[in-house]
Amino acid sequence: MSLETIIIYGIGLLLLTISFIKDKQKTYLAIKKGFKKFKKIVPILLPLFLIVGIILTLITPVFISNILGEESGVLGYILGLTLGSITFMSPFIAYPLGAELIEQGAALPQIAGFLVTLMSVGLVYFAAESTYFNKKAAIYRNVISFIGAIVVVLVVLVMQSW
Amino acid sequence: MVTFIKKNKFLTLGLVILLIMSFVDISLTYQALENTLFQFISMLLIIPPIFLIIGLFDVWVPRETIIEHMGEHSKAKGMVLAFFLGAFSAGPTLVAFPIAHLMLKKGAKYSNVIFFLMVWSSLKLPIIFFQITAIGYYLPAIINITMLIVFIVSALLTDAFFNEEDKKLYYKKADNTE
Repeated sequence: MSLETIIIYGIGLLLLTISFIKDKQKTYLAIKKGFKKFKKIVPILLPLFLIVGIILTLITPVFISNILGEESGVLGYILGLTLGSITFMSPFIAYPLGAELIEQGAALPQIAGFLVTLMSVGLVYFAAESTYFNKKAAIYRNVISFIGAIVVVLVVLVMQSW
Repeated sequence: MVTFIKKNKFLTLGLVILLIMSFVDISLTYQALENTLFQFISMLLIIPPIFLIIGLFDVWVPRETIIEHMGEHSKAKGMVLAFFLGAFSAGPTLVAFPIAHLMLKKGAKYSNVIFFLMVWSSLKLPIIFFQITAIGYYLPAIINITMLIVFIVSALLTDAFFNEEDKKLYYKKADNTE
């Protein structure tokens, strides 16, 4: 079980206990409401997991570190930013993955861009994001995060050339 | 058939790719299904407490509180609060969507909600030591500082990109969906 899972269960149980002590009725209502929202998100996500499962099969860490090597240059930056944009990964998984990729020979600026888009840009989940808000809002958030990733790559490059 | 495909675009796309993969190399298909199952299980594992917290948030936090602290006139305080809520939470970005949606429904200002989402996705300050142990201090330092600046600027710019019509539409949409 990951650190992330433990933290979130801890917080959940703590809040549930406090809520239950304060008001049983309200707590039941909260559980019911939470479950209702859960039921709503599952059918949206299930087919997307299939897509992510396929992508993770085709794009392995070895493949990524190969195409994001020191020599990959500008194309490497673009590939790193693009590969990261496909799906979301939480920072708990992304940072160790980044370390593994660097160990396997991927270069720092490429990995920096890859990490930021991996955490913040998720094109596979664009449809899900749009249903909660709308297309314009989803585009704005993803584009801003992508621009941020480009800035991060540039900062890493500038820092390296010092 | 056509309506099924239209309604289940991603499912159909996934199944078609799986079929093609089976012709190329059946072990790829197994691997993909295994990965899908893993994604699903890890979500099932982490999602119950998150939706429990969402439910509690919905029941216990009154609309007035959200309007006061994160609403249209909350100014910098709203952004600071959005930042802490996003940074001090665990869970994949996916589950931040229903939470952000609920905030909007309870009357939070649009720019605060989008700032919350951005911070949630990539600015986990409580795990900064975890980040440093994982990959060294260099990348986390650059990523966290740069993205914080980018996100603050873009949150402040939301008013320029989304006019009153847009925002009214979001509030209305959030209001109508349960």
